Amino acid sequence: MRANWIVLGVAGIGGALVLSSFLGVFESRVDYNTQVKPLLNKNCIACHGGVKKASDFSLLFRHEAVAPAKSGKPAIIPGDADASEMIRRLTLAEDDDERMPLDHPPLKPDEIDLLRKWIDQGAEWGDHWAYQRVEKPDVPAIGTFWSRLGLAGSDETSWAKNEIDHFILDKLRDEGLKPMPEADRATLIRRVTLDLTGLPPTQQEVAAFQNDPSPTAYEKVVDRLLASPAYGERWTGMWLDLARYADTKGYERDPGRKIWRYRDYLINAFNADKPYNLFLTEQLAGDLMPGASDEQFIATGFHRNTMTNDEGGTQDEEFRVAAVIDRVNTTWDVFQGTTFACIQCHSHPYDPFTHDEYYKYLAFFNNTRDEDVTSETPTLRFYQGADSAEAVALKQWMRTHVSARTESIHERFLRTMEPKFNSHDIKQITNASLLDAKYFGAQDKGVGQLDKVTLTGHNRLLIAWGTKEAGATLTIRQDGPNGPVLLTQPVPKTGSEWKDTIQIFALPAVTGQHSLHLSFSNPKHPKNWTMIKWVAFQQALPDLQQEKRYLALLNKDPEQTPIMLDGSGDLARPTHIFDRGNWLVKGKRVTPDVPKSFPAMDPKLPRNRLGLAAWMTSREHPLTARVAVNRFWEQLFGTGIVETVEDMGTQGIPPTHRELLDYLAAEFMETDNWSVKKMLKRMVTSATYRQHAKATPELLAKDPFNKLLARGPRVRLSAEQVRDQALTVSGLLSRKMYGPSVMPVQPEGIWQSPYDGDSWKQSTGEDLHRRALYTYWKRTAPYPSMVTFDSPSREFCQLRRLRTNTPLQALVTLNDPVYVEAAQKLADYMRLRGQTPEAQIQAGFRRVMLRDLPPGKLAVLTRLYRNTEQYYRQKPDEAQKLLAKADGVPVTPQQAALTVTANTMLNLDEVITKE
Amino acid sequence: MNKLLQELQHAAAQRETRRHFLHTCSTGLGAMALSSVLGSCGFLSKDNSATNEVGGALMPDGSATAPRPSAYLPKAKRIIYIHMAGSPSQLELFDYKPELAKYNGKDCPQELLEGKKFAFIRGVPKMLGPQGKFAQHGQSGAWVSDYLPHLQGVVDDITFLKAMHTDQFNHAPAQLLMHTGSARLGRPSLGSWVTYGLGTENDNLPGYIVLASGGKQPDAGKSVWGSGFLPTVYQGVQCRTDGDPVLYASDPSGISRDVRKQTIDAISQINQQQYDEVKDPEILTRIAQYELAFRMQMSVPDAMDIKSEPQYILDSYGVNPAQGSFARNCLLARRLVERGVRFVQLFDWGWDTHGTSADGAIEIGLKTKCKESDQAVAALLHDLKQRGLLDETLVVWGGEFGRTPMQENRDGQVLPFMGRDHHLDAFTVWMAGGGVKKGFSYGETDDIGYYGVKDKVHVHDLQATILHLLGFDHTKLTFQFQGRPFRLTDVAGKIVKPILA
Repeated sequence: MRANWIVLGVAGIGGALVLSSFLGVFESRVDYNTQVKPLLNKNCIACHGGVKKASDFSLLFRHEAVAPAKSGKPAIIPGDADASEMIRRLTLAEDDDERMPLDHPPLKPDEIDLLRKWIDQGAEWGDHWAYQRVEKPDVPAIGTFWSRLGLAGSDETSWAKNEIDHFILDKLRDEGLKPMPEADRATLIRRVTLDLTGLPPTQQEVAAFQNDPSPTAYEKVVDRLLASPAYGERWTGMWLDLARYADTKGYERDPGRKIWRYRDYLINAFNADKPYNLFLTEQLAGDLMPGASDEQFIATGFHRNTMTNDEGGTQDEEFRVAAVIDRVNTTWDVFQGTTFACIQCHSHPYDPFTHDEYYKYLAFFNNTRDEDVTSETPTLRFYQGADSAEAVALKQWMRTHVSARTESIHERFLRTMEPKFNSHDIKQITNASLLDAKYFGAQDKGVGQLDKVTLTGHNRLLIAWGTKEAGATLTIRQDGPNGPVLLTQPVPKTGSEWKDTIQIFALPAVTGQHSLHLSFSNPKHPKNWTMIKWVAFQQALPDLQQEKRYLALLNKDPEQTPIMLDGSGDLARPTHIFDRGNWLVKGKRVTPDVPKSFPAMDPKLPRNRLGLAAWMTSREHPLTARVAVNRFWEQLFGTGIVETVEDMGTQGIPPTHRELLDYLAAEFMETDNWSVKKMLKRMVTSATYRQHAKATPELLAKDPFNKLLARGPRVRLSAEQVRDQALTVSGLLSRKMYGPSVMPVQPEGIWQSPYDGDSWKQSTGEDLHRRALYTYWKRTAPYPSMVTFDSPSREFCQLRRLRTNTPLQALVTLNDPVYVEAAQKLADYMRLRGQTPEAQIQAGFRRVMLRDLPPGKLAVLTRLYRNTEQYYRQKPDEAQKLLAKADGVPVTPQQAALTVTANTMLNLDEVITKE
Repeated sequence: MNKLLQELQHAAAQRETRRHFLHTCSTGLGAMALSSVLGSCGFLSKDNSATNEVGGALMPDGSATAPRPSAYLPKAKRIIYIHMAGSPSQLELFDYKPELAKYNGKDCPQELLEGKKFAFIRGVPKMLGPQGKFAQHGQSGAWVSDYLPHLQGVVDDITFLKAMHTDQFNHAPAQLLMHTGSARLGRPSLGSWVTYGLGTENDNLPGYIVLASGGKQPDAGKSVWGSGFLPTVYQGVQCRTDGDPVLYASDPSGISRDVRKQTIDAISQINQQQYDEVKDPEILTRIAQYELAFRMQMSVPDAMDIKSEPQYILDSYGVNPAQGSFARNCLLARRLVERGVRFVQLFDWGWDTHGTSADGAIEIGLKTKCKESDQAVAALLHDLKQRGLLDETLVVWGGEFGRTPMQENRDGQVLPFMGRDHHLDAFTVWMAGGGVKKGFSYGETDDIGYYGVKDKVHVHDLQATILHLLGFDHTKLTFQFQGRPFRLTDVAGKIVKPILA
């Protein structure tokens, strides 16, 4: 790269080429990606692109651009600019009707020259850099010629710690900048501890580091942090935004959802350093992995965090489709850093994806059994105690008494209650309705119909149903109202049609796929409803006792967590293109495939989510590793190498250090074998990361956003870190891990759900002071202080939190009872650690910031202390009020003043900032 | 050129660093016109009105909410948007259909049901005639029923949109569509777009305030005043009627205003020392925000405290000062716009009249809701007018959809009360003040109020019109997110020109 710059300079290539920030070749060949595409995107593609193809001419793909347009002639003739209609149109007189761009100012002469040259050179299209295979670049040399030979020292070689620094230095040298020296050890350990674990270090940890003379002192700290259980919690916090994790379902009723086991899966996965490729595979397709473990099922909760709508009157299919679309978009956003949502309605306006390709990709996800049903089916069931023993005993019996196939079907059903028909599939013919738009219900003389049921080998009907009073009967006939009767059974009395029980009935031996005609009679209570929640068809277990055991287990209501499962047979779902994104207008049928602009899927891979995950994590895939390392970089440095972590496409911001990104991506896949811990260690042990964060005015002027990294990162703490730090330094934080989400102190009146009676039931004991990631997350009313610090609502995946700086944040850390309590506790700590206010204040500040206050700042806080002490001396009632809830604390003017000082300390910029 | 393009993309994508722009290119910007600001920073795009986007990134005083000029001359400076959550029946209030009375109690003709989906109606429902007594009022001769006697007196200030239609027949998605332009969660609300584009006129108050009444939040929750992908500084701040009007605005017990002032001063001084050392411009912003927080702690409770209002004003709105109510929120709305708050959003819950209970009955519950709100709404228009505020304040009134001319028969049953199901093809919204015609009615529905037949207005058209009145081209007020520009009106929206004054 540097060599090319020199050549450029020497050769003095003319104006048009200076447009480019770099050139990939020695000769003056026009580069499509850096020179031509920006021009086309800016001036042409709005009318001649993926959305609109005016005059049948599109510049999105080469084959389209060189094909005959509406006029019959191609607009671009490769190798002959003079004969190309495009150049003719661009160069017409300004007032000519045919001049392009239509109704916009003409292109500049140098721009037209560039396009002319490009066409003359063959009008080659180039892939966008991020869509090309990751090739490991050479690491730039640093230092002087002599220092490289080891004959002389160099600032650069003594500063650099690893290859990352070479790339950074290389760029800094181009800009005439020098990096900063390493931050002091207290600052450095606070930074790296917050970054890797989300918590501040203890004073003992700081002292140990400061007193460790060994050259590997810092590396030891990093290793310790990577091994800490808090590490997994911190990175889970990041991932929850991407997974749009919440403890509620969203939409109008926004009722609760139990999916915290997925959150715990993440903690364990990060702590165990599960390789990122496996981490991705388990979340996208754990259910399809051979012999899927509970853990792998739970991992698929990633895509069960989509919202579901329980509002009366909603169409399950509409919201099922919305969830599938969200899964497609989220998969692209999170793992591929690419905006795929655009092509839901039309071909991509800028990036090389077509409308069809969206639905081919959607077909990977469209076959899952979840259907926006209130029960959240499919779920993984956790039998406890005696039930668990029963389940084990039944499985053991099955192993020796039934075929492997029957065993696996029953085992799967015990674990997941799938496959089954949800009752919205039963057509409501007469006196029947979807009750509350959810479940099939029928009254006396009611009729329903279930189509396409395979009865071959299925001599059992499983049905979850109920009605208020005894007297109702169901008759099922084959193929219509006059067909043979398959079953006549009384509906069980459950006290209410909303309560159901599961029953198993024998069916006669029938082969083939049939429609079932369901007729209901209830002469005694003609207005009573019978409700059916679901039906399933299975092979009988050849032992009545065991079948009873099976049924008893199915009728248990153990703890459950939503999972993904694909449908097959009667329940396989075809995928169609939706015309302009409208789910009601179905176009042609498509089968699962990946976009053509990427390497093709290995034909040996299954065309399902598991095959898709294998494709995404192959060495050939250009995006997965790049996007992952870029996200980790962003978390540590505050800004990604590609700043738009959500978009590596042509509309994203170009990378600041493209070779570094490729180097890291290649290392991640090849050297680290997708180990996140190894990658993070590489980043945090670089000299680039360890720099101090002070900026000089010169540096600020030259690089205000610290793109070049000539100084260390300095960013405000995240919502979670602000809270967790306050709880840590006040000694309140509970280190309890895992389990259902908790409800810490929250103001009254935040939750106002129109329908369900859910309420914020404040937790007790240590659950009041758990780490922020365990806080119960209600999508329509998320925890207010976290939202104020930019936590998203988690309705959709959020790839990047936008850091804001608002007065409402100040009100949280000043006045929220959580922070007042932290100040009270911190003040109590301060009181016991000094005889003078100065000493107490220093002790408190050391606990928070792990360093001494300089004299100027100490003077400010001491003055505040003395003034407020004076005040509380005159107003003992006020001190009483301030300390009323602080247990075991002397109610004195001194203590009140210390509390005010501690409250002030927790609001300092440096305290809520990672320096 | 290439560099400029990149910088533009950069400015759009790098939202969180918006405050930095001022430090690199905004010394002494305060008095400069927006265009020269943009020119000086190299952010001029060829289409000047598109710079709403970039304009939002430039703040003279480091705050993202400093007042900014709109793209062209606005008619309205502020909005009071009154949303009757649940959706009032247009057939009882404004859209007079004597023909419908003739069909009262008869089976709904099959052709009206074919291909239609309803939230709750199943099978063949009966038609339900209008329950209000209608008459024409004012110079303009507007039809208003006896459900709203006070509103009858101010119709000459109002433009009625009688052929509104929407795409969504459930509350949450329809409310989202109305306020965010999309039926799914995650987009910025109208108020967020407006404060993003215009900032606020009062440094001591949030620019976008939400007041809710009726005992419950709207169905779609806080998302209807969320900022979506816009920075959170643009989300609506809900002022609550009980407890702190703004969350955490009260100092903790035992910390007086004076002590708080001293702590803020200490924080600022130490932060200043920190800035002198590390030179991070973000620190300066933080100093400013802490000082604003301190002022807000005073100004918000002050604005929300109606004790200083004279008795005749309280009486005119029908406010009981001791009670949170829709009427009190109307009075608060006036106090807030008077203080320069850009966008005041009122939600009143309880207008969903299905006929399943007395509260949800056309003949009972709807009457009660009208009685509780009618006087206050009329008083608000009067009060704004008297203070000379109505000309520059746009008042919007409406629900999220309409109600069916059929009587609801939930799950095929006869309901105990009179009710109407959700209806997306026809409903009424009205506007008054800031740039709309006085005493005007636009749009017509068919003889039974089932479909709009003339001058139909879609939700996106209403939004485009509101933005227009505030001085924005709705196609140009955009924000780059996840790789593409988003706007309130998505890919639709036409300004309803005939209603502009």
